[in-house]
Amino acid sequence: MTGKKSKTQLSAMAKREERWAWLFIAAPFIGFLCFMAYPIIFAIIVSLSRWTGINSLWGNIVGFRNYIEIFQDAKFWKSMLTTIIYMIGIPIGMILGVTIAMGLNRKIPGRRVLTTMYYVPVVSSLVAVSILWAWVFNYDYGLLNTLIKFLTGAHGPNWLADEVMVKVAMIIFMTWKGLGSSIILYLAGLQNIPRDYYEAAEIDGAGSWAKFANITWPLLSPVTFYILITSLIGGFQVFVEVQVMASNGGKNYSAATVVFYLYEKAFKNGQLGYGSAIAVILAIIIFIITAINFHGQNKWVKTID
Amino acid sequence: MKKKLLAMTMAMLMGAVAVTGCSTTTVEESGETAEGTPSEEGEDETTTDSFTGNGDKTLNVFLYMQEHEKEIYKDLVAEFVDEHKDEIKEVVFEITTQDEYNTKMIANMTANDLPDVFYVGPSAVRSYVDNGYVLALDDYVDADTVGKVWGTTQEIYRYDGSNVGSGSLYALPKDLSCFAFAYNKDLFDEAGLDYPDPENPYTYDEFMEVCKALTKDKDGDGEVDQWGVANANQFGMTPYLYSNGVKFLSDDMTKVNVANNDQLKEALTFYTDLTIEGVTPTVDQDAALGGYQRWLDGQIGFYACGTWDVAAFMDDATFPYEWDLCGWPVGPSGDGKSHTWMGSVGYCVSANSENPDLAAQLIAKLSTDENGQKAVSGITTGNSIQLPNIVDLAYGEFKDAVADGTLPFPSNMDVIFGYFDGNDHYEAALQETDYTYNAEWFDPFWQGVSNIQSGDITVEEFLQEVEPEMQSALDNAIELQNSATN
Repeated sequence: MTGKKSKTQLSAMAKREERWAWLFIAAPFIGFLCFMAYPIIFAIIVSLSRWTGINSLWGNIVGFRNYIEIFQDAKFWKSMLTTIIYMIGIPIGMILGVTIAMGLNRKIPGRRVLTTMYYVPVVSSLVAVSILWAWVFNYDYGLLNTLIKFLTGAHGPNWLADEVMVKVAMIIFMTWKGLGSSIILYLAGLQNIPRDYYEAAEIDGAGSWAKFANITWPLLSPVTFYILITSLIGGFQVFVEVQVMASNGGKNYSAATVVFYLYEKAFKNGQLGYGSAIAVILAIIIFIITAINFHGQNKWVKTID
Repeated sequence: MKKKLLAMTMAMLMGAVAVTGCSTTTVEESGETAEGTPSEEGEDETTTDSFTGNGDKTLNVFLYMQEHEKEIYKDLVAEFVDEHKDEIKEVVFEITTQDEYNTKMIANMTANDLPDVFYVGPSAVRSYVDNGYVLALDDYVDADTVGKVWGTTQEIYRYDGSNVGSGSLYALPKDLSCFAFAYNKDLFDEAGLDYPDPENPYTYDEFMEVCKALTKDKDGDGEVDQWGVANANQFGMTPYLYSNGVKFLSDDMTKVNVANNDQLKEALTFYTDLTIEGVTPTVDQDAALGGYQRWLDGQIGFYACGTWDVAAFMDDATFPYEWDLCGWPVGPSGDGKSHTWMGSVGYCVSANSENPDLAAQLIAKLSTDENGQKAVSGITTGNSIQLPNIVDLAYGEFKDAVADGTLPFPSNMDVIFGYFDGNDHYEAALQETDYTYNAEWFDPFWQGVSNIQSGDITVEEFLQEVEPEMQSALDNAIELQNSATN
């Protein structure tokens, strides 16, 4: 029976059901058109203009001038480099995540409490914890420098006002914030690995490192892949942390990320066209990096099947 | 493969989310968002009140203000509707926060659906007029009403098509503020120093001496814990520079003039020397705890005082010290007067308003109604939100209320009036960033100053280095300013 034939044979009731089906499909589709497709297309048009929000959009179309200027814009490249430096936290977070998850995967007392504790930062408001960490990093009164003074007797670094240390501080903070979710994901991954793999390996005389390197880590690779993709995308979009902890972009703009720069351009300086062009470039970069990741996953992502 | 494509599309969309949304800062009141200004306090979400009469005209008013102001202005609108009840069908009075306001106004402009009454800041007058959003008030507001307010606020909302300051009037002031200077009397008493003379501001040299005398290690632990002065971000830097005759831009606001500007070099050297000489907290200390907090904590001799700060400083729970106003120190190469900057925001009428006459009468009431001004300035309420817009009221009942103690205000209030009105010792103007499309050109300057303070670069090197970057941002701003005519 072909599809076409079956359609002509639909009963009145089936037709009615089909109409409902279309209606259900329409809801998210219209939502997508209004809240995703339209803004994206609009932003692309704006990125080709010198629109300020006040002047006329169509009267100020300038082609690719914004894009050309962005490529010559030192501040853009500086903030892009900082954004990428912040991503050092991604592998660190993965290593910590898998280590802690393996610890929590043992039958130790209080592991539920510990898991919850590690997950609390993930569900906390980003603004609230950023303010909290700004205090932790405070030069004179911060928890961290108080600790450093107590342990070493010397004054700790000016975390948020030093061009290098602010990056270290941000990486520490972002790793802490993201750790909980990678622990939960790795924990779920670990619990999916069948016990008998380890038993077989033990019979063959494998030590704990061999078991980890040949069983655990390869079988966790889908989780690692997922965390890598989401962290990279999130990494390119870092904004709130900078806005709260180094609201002027840090000393000599050393803490600013691309999205922070975009925000300053578009909303502080009223250059909506330029800001949109940065956003479009950012979207393209994220798209390319995600595509490369998906393309390369066959080489290293293993599944149990 | 389809899944992959879907995942990648999703990723791209997530990237693109950053693209959506909009807002601008063109209506921001200069400097009032500066550090240590509790402008957020009491701000709530959007509220809409409706006042109805028996007539057939409708007015939509859209503004931002703080909670305690809102009540005063709501009463004024109710009174206005009552006075014009045969004309008015409804006045919709929508009040929001400053952040929300900018976003919504952009949306309104894009949709070409403006309220009848809204705000315009001095920096936005040109853009708004060039793009045809606001109405010239010349035919709607009589000269007597305009003549009541401070001279500055009569000027800054005028625009003749090429220059701000002359031509048709486009707004009436909601307020006028300035960044004055304050000192902690208790610290002067402790140090046995004479109070600053409000009639005769310090010179740079005198100021440095006084600051040195006020800088001490009080608890004897070998570290300074009381400083002569702390400086509030860039808004607290510019008055020192202006008081040495500094102008960052050429008169036509098209060229940055910093590399070969001797007045600037001298003033910036003085400003950064305050830190290098140790009479202000160091850059590191300032990053740990801002000057505003240190001032409230009694660690600081002199600190900037915006007109909006007065109420907080007069509150014993916030600032348990005796204090008064004084002028910013005067540099050797200026006009001999103490200079600071002023800020204002104004009420304007939409060019598309169907009832421009009524709208203009409403803004005249909001701006210059005597009872309203008595309430917001604290003459009748005892709580000063702003200085009166009406000059006679400021010099008359306002000063009387302060003198007889019904209104808590520092006794040297003439310093503020001096800045507002200009006299032999005091002068104030809008900041140069208020005349350019955005303030981006000033960012590299301000961001680099801490490098001088921490000794990484000399003033001379810095000024040479920063000019091209400032000029390039200014060129951008000029292009955007002119884009209205495209």
